[in-house]
Amino acid sequence: MNYPTRARLIKQFNHVISYVLLIGVGLIVITPLFAMVTTSIKQMSEYMVWPIKIFPTTAQWSNFAAVFEMAPYIRVALRTAGLGLLVTFIVTFSSSMIGYAFARYPVRGSKPLFFLVIGLMIIPYIVVLIPQYILYSRLHLTNTYWPWIFNALVGNPLYIFLFRQVFLTFPRELEDAAEVDGCGPFRIYSQIFLPNAKPVIATVMIFAFGAVWGDYMMPLILLNDDKTLLSVKIATSYSNPQGVWLITIAMAANIIYMMPLILVFFLAQKYIIKGVVTSGLKG
Amino acid sequence: MVAARLRLTRTQRRTITFYLFISPWLLGFILLTIIPLIVGFLISLTNYEGLSVINLHFVGTDNYVRAFNSDADARFSLGRTLMWGVYNLPAWLILSFVMALILNQNIKGHGFFRTLYYLTSVVPIVAAITAWKVILDKNFGWLNGFLSIFRPGTAIGWLSDYALQGMTMIAVWTGLGAGMVIFLAGLQNIPDELVEAARIDGANSWQVFRYVTLPLMTPIIFLQLILGLIGVFRQLDLPLVLTQVGLARGAVPPRQIYLYMMHVYRQIFISNRWGYAFSLIWLLFIGVAILTLVVFYTEKYWVYTERPEEGS
Repeated sequence: MNYPTRARLIKQFNHVISYVLLIGVGLIVITPLFAMVTTSIKQMSEYMVWPIKIFPTTAQWSNFAAVFEMAPYIRVALRTAGLGLLVTFIVTFSSSMIGYAFARYPVRGSKPLFFLVIGLMIIPYIVVLIPQYILYSRLHLTNTYWPWIFNALVGNPLYIFLFRQVFLTFPRELEDAAEVDGCGPFRIYSQIFLPNAKPVIATVMIFAFGAVWGDYMMPLILLNDDKTLLSVKIATSYSNPQGVWLITIAMAANIIYMMPLILVFFLAQKYIIKGVVTSGLKG
Repeated sequence: MVAARLRLTRTQRRTITFYLFISPWLLGFILLTIIPLIVGFLISLTNYEGLSVINLHFVGTDNYVRAFNSDADARFSLGRTLMWGVYNLPAWLILSFVMALILNQNIKGHGFFRTLYYLTSVVPIVAAITAWKVILDKNFGWLNGFLSIFRPGTAIGWLSDYALQGMTMIAVWTGLGAGMVIFLAGLQNIPDELVEAARIDGANSWQVFRYVTLPLMTPIIFLQLILGLIGVFRQLDLPLVLTQVGLARGAVPPRQIYLYMMHVYRQIFISNRWGYAFSLIWLLFIGVAILTLVVFYTEKYWVYTERPEEGS
């Protein structure tokens, strides 16, 4: 390519600006994560100094042990993970089934109902959660995990949408052949469509687990301290007897807390990003 | 079974199957959305206090009148929410769009940067806010430490007097990845031929952006704007977690981030004014619906739509 010198200069200039911005924003993005790591191995006295010290003089690894001593971390984590997995399986099952129906059964009423599914995404969840809270408390279901199960059974609009988009692309012959062989609708869904939708299943399962693991609002509103989940536990633990919040130990707790999500992200980046893109582009 | 099947046409059978398949959602929609919404509305017409129903009585539109006339805090919190939108929406939209534009050039290492920018989106809110407390702390925060290099002794209260700006930083940090990835996918859908053709016609980079890329991206910008707008008004997680992390359930939020939903939350869980809180929720709901419709109305003026039927 023979660019005129001026054009080449502009191109190079453009390139430099691009990298400056990329690296600059990259540094801003990484700094809080970096701050998490160094804070988690500081003593409180090293955190509370001015001018600030970025690194501690000696790494205070005992902060990570204190995470488990100062709060019943493992018990709450296991509880949260158990509930997360249960919800993940239920919501993936229900959403895929509902998405399948919307994709493959274009019967009367299916279109307006689908718009309703999508439209519901616009209602702020909190608008429904607080009235739900009244119903749950009248039914004596607060401080239980039933609300999570119910919400999972109902399916999630975003996941329904993701499944529908994928099931729409499957060829018609797949169904017809199975129907000729005498397969019922549920068997066609579970034995032909579902096994061929593994990437979406992975995406939805990751989203669903992350949603329970990271959610703060539902455990805060629906559960007491004896049954609460990890997010609320971490946010409200790790103060010393004088009531001072020990941010260094809290930070260690948060690092352990977010590790599973970070690991899954690195393993399954491709699926996650694809899921976000599908939901954003055609929602 | 066979006899039953014979009496139904294929269409009827398929209709029944469809409704069976979606029955969990349909049931849930009625029980967990419609009924709570109606119950919420009915409660908004009463003086319900969440404890007993002995003193419960119908108060008509009193709660709504009160929200408009005699609740200075409601007006204040609405103002804060609007300011939150003014800070957060443009910052988030522009930054994610610009980063997507940069990454869309065939630049070395774009996969690495995309992963890096997206990483923060998977950080749970409690962890994100704890991390940012270290950055934004007034006395020992990294941001003030950095600013002190240029102006020694900087002590800006990013979590108190300037909490709205501080919260914007947190929101942009957590939202950048998702916004950028969506814009990036949109950019990659723009056919190369269009850009090539514009270049052959002598358009420079800015003109290509202004007359090809930007118009073709307007549908995605529009969608992000709508979702962002709804997110602004329903924002409760960020101010609530910012208030509660390291403190307690009843902790008083900084005035700067006393958003509308924070006001609602406190009406219910601190003051037990359920009836009043539900009137606030319904007002918000109506307000957001109207605002969304207004934005939809502007669509035809600036959002590009394909009209394949229209020849030249």
